[in-house]
Amino acid sequence: MPILPKKKVGLISCSGEELPEGTLSRAATLKVLERLRPKDTVTLCLPLFLAGNDKERAFAKFYPTIAIDGCDQRCAARATEQYSAKPTASIVIPEFLAARGLDTPKTRRQIDAADARAVDALAQEIARRVDEILGVQPAPVIEPPALTVAESAAVTASCSCGSGIPVMRLKIAGKEREVVALPLILEESRKNNQSPDEVFDAVKIYNAIPAELESAYRDAIVRAYSAFNAPREKREA
Amino acid sequence: MSQRVIIVPCSGIGKAYGSVGREAMHQLVEEMRPGVTDTVCLSLLTLGDADAQAQVRDQPTITIDGCPSACAKVNVEAAGGKPAAEYRVYDVYRAHRELKVRSVSELGDAGRTMARLLAEEIAAKVDELTKDGGPLRETES
Repeated sequence: MPILPKKKVGLISCSGEELPEGTLSRAATLKVLERLRPKDTVTLCLPLFLAGNDKERAFAKFYPTIAIDGCDQRCAARATEQYSAKPTASIVIPEFLAARGLDTPKTRRQIDAADARAVDALAQEIARRVDEILGVQPAPVIEPPALTVAESAAVTASCSCGSGIPVMRLKIAGKEREVVALPLILEESRKNNQSPDEVFDAVKIYNAIPAELESAYRDAIVRAYSAFNAPREKREA
Repeated sequence: MSQRVIIVPCSGIGKAYGSVGREAMHQLVEEMRPGVTDTVCLSLLTLGDADAQAQVRDQPTITIDGCPSACAKVNVEAAGGKPAAEYRVYDVYRAHRELKVRSVSELGDAGRTMARLLAEEIAAKVDELTKDGGPLRETES
């Protein structure tokens, strides 16, 4: 299997500037990224995801995602679905707060002591869903002890911008289609002298290939691998 | 709808400077220039919401960006707006290298100071935009 980034869960927070719930979404997401599940989660700024290129958008194709939205406009969920793939899970904060009997935060600037309960509850729910998606045994979400000033400077959310998963576009069944992680897979496969079938198996791990297109995908990937392995002078000719 | 200056920070969740930009926006909208400034959800704007797009097209807009991707500026322009001014948090850091932001979720004293300096700079721009026929100030502190 190619050496690709560890499978993590991508958290996409709406961070809506106009709403207190946007601040709550951001605060709870950061708590999971920095404190509760730092090794198992990554994020990407939603506006960058929206305005970004293939690499940025491949993020949600590579990582299973949880969309956290502050209102029923559901910007995070809609954007993820529109540009990448349907989020694996979706949380809409007003619905979450109502279900838990928690108050809506009052200000959109800072989280006060009363709102901290909502942040904690939401962060724990996100962490629970991360565990569920990764298939790890659900465990009580225990918050680590408070960080010292020096420690908090060292801990930061794991952001995927600028390090997007590389993609390659291939003509498959008459249409340009994106194959997530293919450049890395080709590189690794050539290094390890793998067969075209092994390359295709690796591609299937990182891409959802519709059954009816499997044969077309296989042909295109075998051609791409062959071209990738061709001597340099031949490729440049 | 009364005219206001729309402040659009990138709010980048993966970068401490994204949090500084967001905090500067809050200082402006809620403390320094309430009533004359407002904000809009950047994601909603970017997803093509008609009301959000009309706000940045029809009202003077100031963008605040936390990284070179300049998502606030790029997305306001993509929505048909033309920012009246564009700010980068990094420029505040260049002028005040002693200010080290602690983290994305906790700016620390230095980060909050950085946000205040940026907000003060933007407030001066807001005043410039609102005098002589610009958006009317509804509340004076």
